[in-house]
Amino acid sequence: MKTLLQKVLVLCTILSASALFAQGRIITGTVTEANGPLPGATVVIKGTSTGTQTDFDGNFSIEAASSDVLSFSYVGFKTLDIQVGNQNSINATLEADNSLAEVVITGYGSRSRDLSTAATTTVSAGSIEDFVPSTSVDNILQGKAAGVQVTAANGQPGQTAFVQIRGVGSINAATTPLYVIDGAPIEAEFVNNINPNDIETLTILKDAATVSKYGSRGANGVILITTKRGRSKDAKFVFRSSIGTSERIADPFDLMNASQKLELERQYAALGVPQAQGLPGATSSPEELARLIGNDTNWEDALLRKGYIQSNSLAISGADEKINYFLSLGYDKNTGIIDRIDGFERISARLNTTYEARDWLTVGTNISASRSTTDLPRDRNNVQNPFRFLYDANPYETLFLRDGNNEIVTNADGEPQFNPTTSGFPVAQALQTEPETNTNFLLVANIFADLKFSDKFSNRFAVGTTTNRGRTVARSIAGGTLDPIVGDSNFPGTQRESLNVDFQYNVSNVFGYKDTFGEKHNISADVLLEYNERIFTRTNVSGRGFPSADIPFLDVAADFSDGGSTEVRNSLFSQGLFVDYDYDGKYLVSASVRNDASSRFGPENQNAIFYSGSAAWNIAKEDFMEGSIFNDLKLRASYGSSGNQNIGNNQFVNLIGFGTYNGNSSAVPGGIANPDIKWEQQFLADIGVEFGLFNNRISGVVDYYVKTSEDLLLNRPISGLVGDGNNGILSNIGKIENSGLEVALNFDAIKTEDWRVSLGGNIAFLDNEVKELVDGEDINNGNTILRVGEEINTFFLVEYAGVNPGNGEPLYLTADGDVTNQYSADFAKTLEGKSPLANIEGGFYGNIRYKGFGLRGDFVFKAGNYIQNFQRSAGVQIGNIDSNQRVEAFNYWQQPGDQNVLPNPLYEATADQTSTRFLEKGDYVRLRTLTLSYDIPSKLLDRTGLSSVRIYGTGQNLLTFTDYEGDPEIGIGSAENSGPGDAGFVAGQFSLFSYPQTKSLTFGVDIGF
Amino acid sequence: MKTIKTFITIFIMTLGLTSCDDELDIAPFTQGDADTFYNSVNNFEVAINGMYSSFFNYYSNGSGVQGLPDILSDNAIIARTGRGSNQVFSDFTYGANNGGYITSVFNGAYTTIRRANLIISQIENIDGEAERDNILGQALAGRAFAHLDLVRTYGKIPTQSADANASLGITYIKEPIDALSQLSRETVASNYENIIADLTDALDLIDETTLVDEDKVEGAFNKNSVRGMLSRVYLYTGNNQAVIDIVDEITAPLATRIEIPGVYTDSNDAGLLVEFAVNTASESNFNNVGVIYSQTIDGSTVSEFAVDFGLFNSLQFSDVRTNIITFAAENEGNDYNAINKFIGETEQVNGRVDIKALRVAEAILNKAEAQFELGLEGDALQTLDLLRAQRFSPFTIGTETGQDLEDAIQTNRRIELAFEGHRFYDLKRRGDAIERGTFGDLANGTGTPNTTQTLEAGNFRFQLPIPQAEINVNPNYTQNEGY
Repeated sequence: MKTLLQKVLVLCTILSASALFAQGRIITGTVTEANGPLPGATVVIKGTSTGTQTDFDGNFSIEAASSDVLSFSYVGFKTLDIQVGNQNSINATLEADNSLAEVVITGYGSRSRDLSTAATTTVSAGSIEDFVPSTSVDNILQGKAAGVQVTAANGQPGQTAFVQIRGVGSINAATTPLYVIDGAPIEAEFVNNINPNDIETLTILKDAATVSKYGSRGANGVILITTKRGRSKDAKFVFRSSIGTSERIADPFDLMNASQKLELERQYAALGVPQAQGLPGATSSPEELARLIGNDTNWEDALLRKGYIQSNSLAISGADEKINYFLSLGYDKNTGIIDRIDGFERISARLNTTYEARDWLTVGTNISASRSTTDLPRDRNNVQNPFRFLYDANPYETLFLRDGNNEIVTNADGEPQFNPTTSGFPVAQALQTEPETNTNFLLVANIFADLKFSDKFSNRFAVGTTTNRGRTVARSIAGGTLDPIVGDSNFPGTQRESLNVDFQYNVSNVFGYKDTFGEKHNISADVLLEYNERIFTRTNVSGRGFPSADIPFLDVAADFSDGGSTEVRNSLFSQGLFVDYDYDGKYLVSASVRNDASSRFGPENQNAIFYSGSAAWNIAKEDFMEGSIFNDLKLRASYGSSGNQNIGNNQFVNLIGFGTYNGNSSAVPGGIANPDIKWEQQFLADIGVEFGLFNNRISGVVDYYVKTSEDLLLNRPISGLVGDGNNGILSNIGKIENSGLEVALNFDAIKTEDWRVSLGGNIAFLDNEVKELVDGEDINNGNTILRVGEEINTFFLVEYAGVNPGNGEPLYLTADGDVTNQYSADFAKTLEGKSPLANIEGGFYGNIRYKGFGLRGDFVFKAGNYIQNFQRSAGVQIGNIDSNQRVEAFNYWQQPGDQNVLPNPLYEATADQTSTRFLEKGDYVRLRTLTLSYDIPSKLLDRTGLSSVRIYGTGQNLLTFTDYEGDPEIGIGSAENSGPGDAGFVAGQFSLFSYPQTKSLTFGVDIGF
Repeated sequence: MKTIKTFITIFIMTLGLTSCDDELDIAPFTQGDADTFYNSVNNFEVAINGMYSSFFNYYSNGSGVQGLPDILSDNAIIARTGRGSNQVFSDFTYGANNGGYITSVFNGAYTTIRRANLIISQIENIDGEAERDNILGQALAGRAFAHLDLVRTYGKIPTQSADANASLGITYIKEPIDALSQLSRETVASNYENIIADLTDALDLIDETTLVDEDKVEGAFNKNSVRGMLSRVYLYTGNNQAVIDIVDEITAPLATRIEIPGVYTDSNDAGLLVEFAVNTASESNFNNVGVIYSQTIDGSTVSEFAVDFGLFNSLQFSDVRTNIITFAAENEGNDYNAINKFIGETEQVNGRVDIKALRVAEAILNKAEAQFELGLEGDALQTLDLLRAQRFSPFTIGTETGQDLEDAIQTNRRIELAFEGHRFYDLKRRGDAIERGTFGDLANGTGTPNTTQTLEAGNFRFQLPIPQAEINVNPNYTQNEGY
């Protein structure tokens, strides 16, 4: 914001400069930076409004007197002042300002980084642009900011990611951070509808100094998205275009081909495995076997394809004396890798403007609209899911039905008929006859007015609204796969539609006071009033009986079979006071207090107060540091509280829902309410140091924090005898602690005119522990457990003890640790230190530039987490012999003495059980992006009228290093019953055939003029 | 200028002082307040429908009471071209961590019981005595019937073995209990005492016919429903004379040979004593009870389970029930004796039909068995012939005695009640083994046989495991032996 103001001021001065009579002589010179001349730099006579700009070669000329001081400035560089004296020619070399960003946004305002007491990380536009194929903003954050754990939900195009800041701050309430775009809160689920090219910075608020200002919504951290503004005087056009392809990342294992699978069936049948007796491998004649082997269907080829990725955007920005504007259009498409359906498509538009209406009044708006459509494949743990099907389908079965002559069977319309296969579900057909499409229209509109009453008093009034209109249409086309099952033969074809309108508005007012006493005592105070309300409405209707599959509208349905509508609201009213003080920019102290009242809690617990205090010492500014290697050295500490209210509405009252029974109304008592539920509270202590050395060639930030989350709202499992329907009651049960060390470093290793090499990275070490539960009792969530003293969601499984070399029987450990050939769920034990949460997470990059050429690689890594590899278990499970298997399945026990083998298939009952057998380490390092780019030199562009042209190629997920038997990057295991919002959902707990990650190659060009 | 600024300042100050308290009291939009809901006859009727819908749910949910006991028996054999759903039950390899029937009955029945108890504990809020009695009667009967499902599933049945009565049953819940309760199991004997007590009270209170709509009676309990329930409970407890007496009080007629096919396509409600109904016109998203046995995909019936070949062989051409039970179906080139019951209403194959939980035919068979047990062979034969006369054409009066008569009663029971959720409990209560033989799944008895062909009498798996989740949260709840 400060730079913007400077820029506007400078522009004003330039405009008026020509009208002024200058006295003195003409001074000429060149402004350069390390890489060469700096065009467009501002040269002003200090203390006046006289100034000019450098031309394309960095040259300038200005009339100035000997007593004048020339001030050279440019965005991203340190301002340099030079006394004119008796010089006629002045050459200025500007130093890049490498402290991450000059101004940091601190929540309800911004502050110079020097004067901030808070731990924040800013990801700027430059580093976002290298992540072109990512269509969602949250995915971009991965590996970019220390302490921000980003787990891609899955590989589905347009899918958002799970973002956690500084560990898991809650167990049952949502752990997604609060997203605020240009001052207006936005639900995390809509973030994928924001055009990443519109983003100027992503600021992550991590410590109490800033998150406490967000009170009850700050506990999971806050991500502030700031969109771009016009800066240059002339309109600047930026056009970006890229296209590319994506494909499934190859599995690190082999599936069986037709002859292998038939052979395994034969072997199993010969052993006497009952399920194998009727399988083709056991029963077929040699001729039949030969025919089946000949089929050898590659189901991946049959069901998947190369995805196509396309992105185009155009931005126009500029500024004038009183107005600035940024306008953009964007189009993105990612077909995804599932054949026969469309993937994700988005168009977006934005206009940001600011107008200085009076010298005391500035008004502005940020408005964006975007529309996206996504085809939703069925993410289920069954054959309806193409990603399960391609592993399960036997390679000796064919995509289309074949007759006795091995000719493809056609239907009445002459179209080939899909083979239902042994699974009974022709998924390739179902993808076409059971389409489900989601269309979202997102409108984010903010208005604000800044009033300046005097030098000391100011006020900002802002209204932010986000509206998402989501329409989902799911069809079962007549004659398709599911219609005969779920439909009604009298009414062929069904269609379900729902329309969700999610409207959120936020009215805020910040009244500011700023003053300086005795020249060095700077104080500022802000008073906040904020009201937030979210109104969600849903209408849904289903119809059946469609005369034609080509008309997917309910107007033509013969019968309406179902319908409904509902509304949900919640509101929050807040008051806050934020105070900052500094002494000469060296000693900084800040404090905040905020009161929140939420509709989500009962009358007794509606209000809560959150506070924070923080302090910092700018050591580099001390006199004794003069001339040291440090350009920047700051120590800071903060402590404060925040809350989490991300739970359902009306959970404090006993509710009666309604349904029907035999066509009449029925009452459905809801779960048992807990009238005493209150806010989850969080206390966050942080100490950090920020430093810059050797002209900021080396810079970094180190933070250590302890985050204690108390009164956690947990769905405490209760006895089924209560009969409440979900066997749980929401209670403020527990306490967990996250602590961690975060390090971020950047090193400009080589910096010459032609060469520039920089390296950097961040790493976060994270520890977490369950501290308290009610009465110290475990909370068992099936395969994971919450136990005092252990990590959150530590795995709770029966320990597998390998195969008895004598007879191939699978062995387990009893609860007492004795080896047994029995399996019992009672043997399950807490596996200390093994949880789905990573202990180490981060990213690193290397960037090499030679003249116009650039090569940048970004890696992300994660270590210390465990994953239940159910996909692998399905691929070798004895009971799954009717489905395809991994080649590994041949490695079963065959004769006494066999070791390191799979169990003897005759012991199916004890072998096919959930145990530690398929619990694997999830460590990985992945080359997230590798970009090779070339900037065409401006000399070559001079006559074209273009100001910049960059061409590049980017590969995403090209390399992965892991021991995990599958793809280790897992968020959602299966959306069937373990998606976000489902009880007991833990991101990355297991893999179960959700949409896999993809790798992609894109090529693009950015043109500026 | 100054006035504008002053005005704005005042405006902002006013904003800050405005209280937002009212905005924070947001009542739910589509739900009612449970603490004040039970206040009118109409609302109690809506609440009793909630109890019935909970029954409907756990009887029909894909691993429900309407079909799974046949999978746990010698009536159904798993079809190898199916999806393998409910296979752990067919294979008798289930454990406490399995879902399906194990959690479905436990949670479903207790959810039903809570809904009944919420009504029973607030019944005084109804002013009119007649309405109050009828609603209370239905709630008591529902509570008893759900407990019966629990105790016969997780506990032994009194006639099953000598130690049954003293063994662990379930917990009989008579009022809405505190969320954090950790109750223990009671004995089988005390469970059945409570069930009989509730049913006896219900019989006094409930109407002869409960009108759900103006003229519609389906889907709700009435006096005959309770009599039917009592006949089953008395049979389970070995009180044979009481079975005979209560069945004699049943006024509803047996479905005739003409009517009986229509009972399964919901064309008529003949001979239904306990039915959980679905209105297929408006409730097209409700559970499809028949999906447990088969789905129809691309015109072919994909059977999950087929008729056991042994049972198939005992079906006679002259028996009207043969075509009710089975039809010839083909899938992936294999012929199956597919299960026809619950495949859909007339001309439908979507599996969505009413649940037939208790029929007059069962009561008659209960009576015949009770008479036989009491040595009244002549009476027993006569009772059995009441049923056979309405099932066979031509019908010839039976002549069986002794073991033949007992076999005839049991064979007719197996056929009459096939695939309606009885067989497992009938074998269990009689202390019999489950013997499936070596036939395969295909129409001619070839194909893949059952993985587990015999479950010996007395095997621990006759008592299903208590869901592990319950054991985890309630240390007072003892797991059944063997798990």
